[in-house]
Amino acid sequence: MSGSLVVVAKNSAEHKKWKYVQWAYLAGFVLLTPLVLEPFEIGKMNRALIMGVAILAVNLVVGFNGMLALGHSAFMGIGAFVTASMVQDENWDYWQVIPIVVIVGFLMGVIVGLPALRVKGLYLALVTIAQAAVFPTLVNIDELGIAKRTGGPNGKGVSEEVIAPSYLEWLPGVDGARGGSAYRFWIIVLMVGITLLLVTNYLRSRPGRAVLAIRDNEAGAAVYGVNLPIVKTMNFAISASIGSLAGLMWCLDKGFVAGQDFTFLLAVDLIIGLVLGGVGTLQGGLVGGLFVVWVNDLTKRISVPLGLYTLNGDGPLAKAIFGLILILFTFFAPGGIVSLGRLINNKLIHIVPLTPSGESIEPMSGFDPGMESTRADTAMKLSIAGPVLLGVGWLLMNVNNLVVGVLAFGLRMTILLAPVAMLVGINELKAHADGNRPDSVKGPASMARNLGALGFVFVIGYALQRFVQTYPIWDIPLI
Amino acid sequence: MALLEVSEISVQFGGIRALDDLSFTMDEGQILGLIGPNGAGKTTLFNVVSRIYDPTTGSVTFDGQDLLAMSAHEISRVGVYRTFQNLALWPGMSVIENVMVGDHTNTKANVISSALRLPSMRKEENELRDRAWAALEEIGLEDVAYHPAAGLPFGTLKRIELARALIANPRLIMLDEPASGLTHQEVDSLAQDIKNLRDRHNLTILLVEHHMRMVLGISEKLVVLNFGRKIADGDPDVVRNDPEVIEAYLGSS
Amino acid sequence: MTWNFDILPDFIFNGLSLGAIYGTVALALVLIFKATTLINFATGELAMLGAFLVYVLHMEQGLWLWLSMLIAMALSAGLGVLIERTLTRPFDPSDHLPVVLITLGLFLIINAVAGDIWNYQVRILSNPFGQFPSWVPSVGGDRFIMVFGSRLKYQSLGIWVTLAIALFLLGLILNRTKAGLAFRAVSSNVESARLVGVHTGRTLGFGWAIASAFGTLGAVLVAPQLGGVNPNMMATILIYALAGAALGGLDSLGGAVLGGILVGLIQAVAVTWVGVVVFGQLYMSILQLAAAFIVILIVLLFRPSGLFGTRRVERV
Repeated sequence: MSGSLVVVAKNSAEHKKWKYVQWAYLAGFVLLTPLVLEPFEIGKMNRALIMGVAILAVNLVVGFNGMLALGHSAFMGIGAFVTASMVQDENWDYWQVIPIVVIVGFLMGVIVGLPALRVKGLYLALVTIAQAAVFPTLVNIDELGIAKRTGGPNGKGVSEEVIAPSYLEWLPGVDGARGGSAYRFWIIVLMVGITLLLVTNYLRSRPGRAVLAIRDNEAGAAVYGVNLPIVKTMNFAISASIGSLAGLMWCLDKGFVAGQDFTFLLAVDLIIGLVLGGVGTLQGGLVGGLFVVWVNDLTKRISVPLGLYTLNGDGPLAKAIFGLILILFTFFAPGGIVSLGRLINNKLIHIVPLTPSGESIEPMSGFDPGMESTRADTAMKLSIAGPVLLGVGWLLMNVNNLVVGVLAFGLRMTILLAPVAMLVGINELKAHADGNRPDSVKGPASMARNLGALGFVFVIGYALQRFVQTYPIWDIPLI
Repeated sequence: MALLEVSEISVQFGGIRALDDLSFTMDEGQILGLIGPNGAGKTTLFNVVSRIYDPTTGSVTFDGQDLLAMSAHEISRVGVYRTFQNLALWPGMSVIENVMVGDHTNTKANVISSALRLPSMRKEENELRDRAWAALEEIGLEDVAYHPAAGLPFGTLKRIELARALIANPRLIMLDEPASGLTHQEVDSLAQDIKNLRDRHNLTILLVEHHMRMVLGISEKLVVLNFGRKIADGDPDVVRNDPEVIEAYLGSS
Repeated sequence: MTWNFDILPDFIFNGLSLGAIYGTVALALVLIFKATTLINFATGELAMLGAFLVYVLHMEQGLWLWLSMLIAMALSAGLGVLIERTLTRPFDPSDHLPVVLITLGLFLIINAVAGDIWNYQVRILSNPFGQFPSWVPSVGGDRFIMVFGSRLKYQSLGIWVTLAIALFLLGLILNRTKAGLAFRAVSSNVESARLVGVHTGRTLGFGWAIASAFGTLGAVLVAPQLGGVNPNMMATILIYALAGAALGGLDSLGGAVLGGILVGLIQAVAVTWVGVVVFGQLYMSILQLAAAFIVILIVLLFRPSGLFGTRRVERV
């Protein structure tokens, strides 16, 4: 772990500072979304968050329990239709429907999961794939009042719009347009936050550890008293109820639900999001949701002329690109984007755990003589990484503007990495001047400082240019 | 009265008799060595007692309770635990979490109390973590407590399994080749550790091991299997001189 | 409520011929499951691709239909081997997730590429049994054979005979050829097969090849009932085939065929005949697909190893 730039003890002041910075980034991201984005883009973000919750639900089963669930589109559909029916036909409020949706989802999970999870093997995959295929046909059944409730092939709309009460007008982005996507964004963020908190608590305690133990070694789990079918079914049912909750959010966001929204293809989208985001990681769901919506958007812009034939991303080939991403990630990045992020994070910081009496288990930084030069080396590498990513993005953008996203990614990495590299470089040089570092530190440290500064300047310049482009300076009233 | 009573156990896989009419008893506090050549049925017996296999005939009672009437996850309730020959750790969790799951049976936090972090759950969780730490300290593993259980040396992983079995205050631990893959020095200290643990925690230990010096050194009773049948049973010093045992096992090695 | 038994045999015949096709696709699933304990979710799309190959060779290039079918089956088999070799062999078969993800990715890619090339319109593909020999009696312009006073379509008969021949050939391959015996050895125990010197990788490729060829056969046979070929043609058939494979037992080849036939019968008789003819309610026909789902659930509840599968169901 001595490769990390910063080594801090758990719960120390530095560690807390690091956490605050992370939370600040997240809060800034959330706050800016409704302020900066256009309403239709906020809508896309809402969809990404909803997909994120659904992917989290799939992840509970696939990533944390090692069982294959391929039919969560059906649970989303159940949640969405129950919500639409209760709100439209029975005049309930959305928040009143939440417990109903959670309970219905849980029961459906038990009905589907229990038979399949009593036995070992791929049976859950079998049942859930059939469930995903069957669900869209079930909502069209005329009997038992089903079609009346679901709207049948026409789908069902909720006529009442979700409007911010006047005492919530102060929410960022909401003022003026109280019924807009910004208000729905805040509701969804709240629901996502609570869901994520509850799931995190669940996974990091006794029942969650039993779920993970089953994934890692079933025989071992049984010997230590884990009741395999019960724990698996419970976990699957919890996952199903979270999937239904995502369905409720879907209905709340779109105000319209139809059977063809919840086909097997949606289930496959969830799996793709799971793999992109990170199987078996808590953040993987949200990251995957963002990327599914984002990649979907990007592929639509692809248009590569190949002689007589034009490769067109707007047609059926969009799905092929998703398929390709699925296979490439399975081969080369089985931990998804989150695990790549963790690799970078581990380069940046290493948190030393504590004994119950509050002592750090490993020696802290500074005691390890090899430490300082590694630190400068890592800073140097980081300082190079930012501009390189930026350059690659810029090149790709000029080849074909479909890869704007790579540029955006490079830019963000530079924003994150360049200042860190610059600061560490300056720090190490100072330490060298004070005689606390060997001479070998000097080269990498000055390079980190210089390149980091360059990247920093570049980012600021780029941001200025974007700003001027978006808000031409001569249009800004200088009062 | 005997603590563990295995009587007339037979296990049949297709045409193969993995265990043939095996009977023996263990007293409380005893270290019993179960030995025999490869394929003699030792691990099969473990799998019967820990309810992974169903025997064709016979019965297993522990402290008067019928183990065969229980499911695999229920036998930990009466205090019967085991380790695995090829490890059954959970590599996706940290070492201390592995040990914490070890006491799954005696802890109570459920989905709701955990998701809401109710005070009762937090209290139990803190106590559990402290006990897991104590178990790790006892085995000398506190340095790797927060390391993922994947990627540690084999000998360390074996000791993690021991710590995991210890945390639940077991009455009977079945150790499946704890010394395999260890160096000579490690084997000697392991033998001493097992004896100490038995004395400190009032354990009864059923030991399967190929390492003869270690088995003969710490066992108070030996059961020798060959092709699924018991060929000798009793005091180690007597058994090791039994001509049939020497013929089947010691003689060949 | 009219228990109209007169037309019941028609439904039974229909169910048997649909079921035979489900059985063929189920066989493709089981051939891969037996060897690797994996469910290949791209089975349907590979079969669809095979049917489109037949479409290209026969309808566009004018080759004789049966020859086109043989060529398409050979090409699908080659594609199956290629996929096994490049995409699934690098992964540990006991870890199901990566390989399932790969087959899902293939599902998307094949479907999308076919959609890009051939659009999502139904394209007519000649019926292999569209031309009638003169001995087949004609009833009202269509060709039927009268059985028990009911009309048995010449086409159904053709499907059964074709499948019977294919199954017979499969039996010969599995029991008489070296590759077939190796496949059986690997599917009953990988470790011991490897110990006696069977090249397991090549053998799994053999399983994929046969499975892909059988899938193609199923897709070509089912095309006339769907009005032709289109990229989404196998979507529901795969579900019926999965139900059939589960019902027969995921590791039993004969079970897969019988399970598929049973699912076809359940669909035709229990759902369509009882629902539409007896109760006169169309919603029962919507339940056809749901019947497949319910079959899977019932099998898992009462007999997880299926009707003919080996009872290797472990509790732990």
